[in-house]
Parts: sequence; C-alpha cells; structure tokens
Amino acid sequence: MNILTKHEHTPLELYYPEMAEITAVNQFTELEKWFEIKLPDGKELGHQPGQFALFSIFGIGEAAISICSAPTKKGAFDICVRKVGMLTEKMHQLEVGQKIGVRGPFGTGFPVNDFKGKDILIIGGGIGIVPLRSLINHVIAYREDFGRIIILYGAKNPDELLFPDELENWDNDPSIEYHVTVDQGTPEWQGNTGVITTLIPGLDLDLDNTIAAIVGPPIMYKFVLMALKSKRLPEDNIYMSLERRMKCGVGKCGHCQINDSYVCLDGPVYQFSDIKNLPEAI
Amino acid sequence: MNKHNLLLQNIPDFVAHLQTYGEVHAPCQKGENSFSFEQVTDPSRVVLDYARTLQSIRKYFLPPTERLLNFSLTDNTFTKVAIENNHRIFLGVHSYDMKAVLKLDFNFSHRTPEINYLKRRENCTFIGVSYEPDDYHFSRSVGITVENTEGFDLFLDRHENGYTVQVLTERGTEITKDFTALGEALEIPEISRQFKNKIKFNYNRLPEVMEQSWNSPVWEEVAQRCVGCGTCNLVCPTCYCFNMVDNVDLKLTDGSRDRHWDGCLLSSFAAVAGGENFREKLASRQRHRIYRKFKYITDKTGDPWCVGCGRCTAYCTAGISIVEIVNRLSDEFEQTHLRKSSAPVGQKIQGVSL
Repeated sequence: MNILTKHEHTPLELYYPEMAEITAVNQFTELEKWFEIKLPDGKELGHQPGQFALFSIFGIGEAAISICSAPTKKGAFDICVRKVGMLTEKMHQLEVGQKIGVRGPFGTGFPVNDFKGKDILIIGGGIGIVPLRSLINHVIAYREDFGRIIILYGAKNPDELLFPDELENWDNDPSIEYHVTVDQGTPEWQGNTGVITTLIPGLDLDLDNTIAAIVGPPIMYKFVLMALKSKRLPEDNIYMSLERRMKCGVGKCGHCQINDSYVCLDGPVYQFSDIKNLPEAI
Repeated sequence: MNKHNLLLQNIPDFVAHLQTYGEVHAPCQKGENSFSFEQVTDPSRVVLDYARTLQSIRKYFLPPTERLLNFSLTDNTFTKVAIENNHRIFLGVHSYDMKAVLKLDFNFSHRTPEINYLKRRENCTFIGVSYEPDDYHFSRSVGITVENTEGFDLFLDRHENGYTVQVLTERGTEITKDFTALGEALEIPEISRQFKNKIKFNYNRLPEVMEQSWNSPVWEEVAQRCVGCGTCNLVCPTCYCFNMVDNVDLKLTDGSRDRHWDGCLLSSFAAVAGGENFREKLASRQRHRIYRKFKYITDKTGDPWCVGCGRCTAYCTAGISIVEIVNRLSDEFEQTHLRKSSAPVGQKIQGVSL
C-alpha cells in the first residue's frame, strides 16, 4: 500500500518558515525586548492566547517563543524576548524592517470560551507575564464576558517589570484588580515587596467560579499551587503554561516531552488535573 | 499464499533480477563481524545469514543528517529541498526491523503527518529473511517471532539448502514471476526458532510494572554504570528524536538548516536556554528511555516500542542490558506489589497533592 495515501491527513511540509517583518520594537529592560511582527500579505497568525510559535534567524537557528498579543490585535502580533542564548541575543539586534522566520502557531492555548462568566485570576512571575499578556488583553477586550479580573504580577525588582505602560493602565482600570510585588524593592518603590505567593492569602475568591492561569519559572509553580491549595481553589480551575526545549513544534523531535505528554501538542497550556500525575511536570 | 524454493547458489542471480525493478539495498559485510545495509552493486557481496546490522533501515527514512532547507545570508531567503524517493528494494530485513519501520510510520503520520519521512517511505519493497536468534535478540518477548511477515512483500525462510520464499503481496508476485530459477516449495515442517534472551513478563504487563517503578533504585544503579554516550539511542531502530541546527558555509554567505539524530540519553537533550535542565540526571534519562520503549507509547497504542533487536545491549559501551533492567524492575514489582493486596496507584508530583 502507498504509505502516502494511507493517512487520514495529507503529509505536510512542516519545517519551512514564513518570512515575517518586524514593524516595531521596544527595549523594556536590558534583557527583555518587545517586537511587533507582521506576516507576509497581511496574513493573520491565527493564534489563541497562550500559544507559541517558532522564530528563526538563518545561520543561528530556531526557538519557541510565546505570542504575547491577543488575537484581537489584527494585522500583526507581538512577542517579548529575553536575551538568554545565541538566537535571542541575535534577535535583540534586529531592527524595524528586518525579517525573521516564523512557524506556527503551535500548542494549546487557554480555553477562553470555557472561561466565560468566570472570575479570572492571572498569576505571572517574571517573564511568565509575557504569555499571560495575551490572555489579559483578550479578557480586557471582551470584558463583559468575564467576572472579576485579578492580576498578580511578581518580579525580582522594579526595573524588571515589563509592559510598563500597560501595567499603569491595569492599575488605573477600576474593572481590574491589579497587584504587583517585587522580591527586592528600591528606595523609590512604594508597592509590595516579597514573593508572589504573599499576594495570594489576602484574596477573597468565589472558589467555584474562579479560574487561575499561572505562568512563571519552574520554582514558582510549586509554591503558587500550595498557596491556591490552602485557598481551596478546585484543581480543575487551575491552568498553567510550561516551558520546555523545543525543536520541531509538531510532536516529532522528542525534546519537549514531559513523561508521555508533548508540550508542543498537549501544552504549553495545561489544566492542572492533566499534569498532576506527571512526575516530570514541575 | 504462494511459496517457492530458492537455492543458495541462485541468490546472486535473484539479487541481479531484483535490480531490474529498482535499487537493491541489502546487508553487506563491513568488518569481521559487522554488517550494514548498503546499495548493492555486486550481488555476491550480499549476506543473508547475519545476526544484526549496526543500523537498521531506519537510516533510509530518517537519515542521520538531513537538509531541511537551504538559506542565503546575503539576502535572508531560503529555498526548499527536494525529498528523494527512488524505488528501493530492501532485501534481507529481519522481522524486528520491519516492525520498527511500521512503528516509525505511526510516529511520523500520527497527529502531524510529516512529508519528509513519509515521502521517503513511498516506493519501497521489503523482502524479509529469517535469522537464528543470538544471545541479544529477544523479539519474541515483545511479540515478534523470527517468522513474522507483517510489512513484507516477500519473506525468505532459511532451510538447509536455501530459502522457502513466501509471496505476501501483489508487489511480491510482480518481482518474482519472471525469475525462472525459483523452484517448487519443499515440504519442510514449520519450525519456530527459540530465543535464549527473554523478558520475564508478558510485554502487555510492562506498563503496569513501569507505573510502579518510577522511584526504583534500579535507575540509580544503571546510572552508576552508564556513561551517557547515547549509543543506545543511535542504534535503536525505533528511536526517532532529532535536533535541528543551522550550518553556515565557510564563506559565510549560504548555509542549510539540518536535522540530525539526537538522543534522550545525552545531557543536553532537555536543557533550555537560561540553565534549566529538565532531565539533568543520568538516572532520569535512562528511565525516560525505558519508559519510551515500554510505557508511554504503549499506553496509547497497546504495543511496546522496543522490537527486541538487542542492539542497545550489544553495542552498549558500559555493558548495560535492557532486558536486565526490565527484568529487575519486574522482579521488584513482583516482590513489592503482587504480594500486597492493595498497591498504590499513580504518581504524584512530589510535595504537591491538591
């Protein structure tokens, strides 16, 4: 039998990128830079909040990066990149008008339709706020579809806070409950100090009607989950996004596997109940 | 099913006959005791009595290195790469290696069908051959007999003076019908070849054993001997993990994005930029390899993802045996769980149980 006709779906060319144009940049911190990217012919990326794409520069390679704009933004999308390796270092040198390879979107997003009518508790640590910004902008765009919007954001110090203009908007918006904390304050810092979990005990939550979306460094999840457990938030109401090494983005190369789950296909956004039995998850 | 007889002395002629239908690839002698699938130019070099080739025929469908695209740094553009799919006849494939190809077919067509692999798998003819199991083979333990014909167009079963040729598909008929040296099949009693190397439990019980083996001391013991070289991944016919790397030419004007085989035993496999390594310990990487073969895909498909070829053990630089690992875990399982009335179920993330 012909192997190509045996399959339900047509075999695909999976590894060719689209050459997209950088249309705006903003250096948030020494390490983090924001980019607005436009696909050729005004094509939409067509992503869901929480999904990622693979970005590449020829001669350097490819890496998985979350999309940080909501799908409500048309004609272009945003990413925010921390300089941590060879590719991201090179990306930081890119300027408006230059091109970058894009494959995707890949993976699962936050199931925003299931979130309708619920209170949304968003917990972001460090660059975890980046993928969450896509969800935040979505729930703000469809504000009437959701109950309370509570944003908890933690960073190491005030200089590392990302999206400064938007943080101010969230803070000033009476329909958003925004709480920020830094591990180490500065003389000018007047807000909370302490790790992000210190913001959780004081919350008054409608437990059955609250969805928690968590993104942060691996160490953060364990403590945030314990804090939410003390609050008695049902585990089915908890969603989190996990980071792993990725090469192919399509469930072949094996790098992102957490036990039997491929982060690029089954994640990066998981319902807590789907991963609580995976010992490699956090 | 049609059966014929093929005498040993007619094999070179048979190979030459097959060459009129396409490229013939068959085991050829490399060193004193090593064999490799090669494109046959001289039919007399084909060896059908062999224990195992260093690499399975996986290398034809998922090449050790493969160019995915060519790029130009001068103008920041890329060009696509043509995927070759010449008509190939694989002669002398053992049943476990054929089964391994069928497993890779699943991996490369499941969820996101990949044209690179699947196009190379087109236009292939497979001719199996029986073998005498050695100290390393344990295919029977994972449900694959020496005489298993699944996936083959023809199967050659060895007897004293030659082979009984089973014609299994239309393609098999097509490539044999004009070969006049085939004789009438001999009346030979069917023999089922025996394996000395065995997994002690039926393979369908291994996911259950693995379920209880996450914290077994066996992983640390294996890690004490393992040097993390990744040879087991490199020679495994069902390993398919890969890395993707950009390579630039010396003029720094052009280059290619290539993929090459990677291995979950290598320390960098699950490392991300910024220093986090999600499978930093050798013990956790060995466990991942064994779970990949006997639990993760098995839970989804019902089949083990090991074909019992024995390569990972035969070529291990530290003398680690996959059968020994699985049997040690099975012994532990038997002692700690089968003798208790209520076994704990499932694993919990350490420190968190909501």
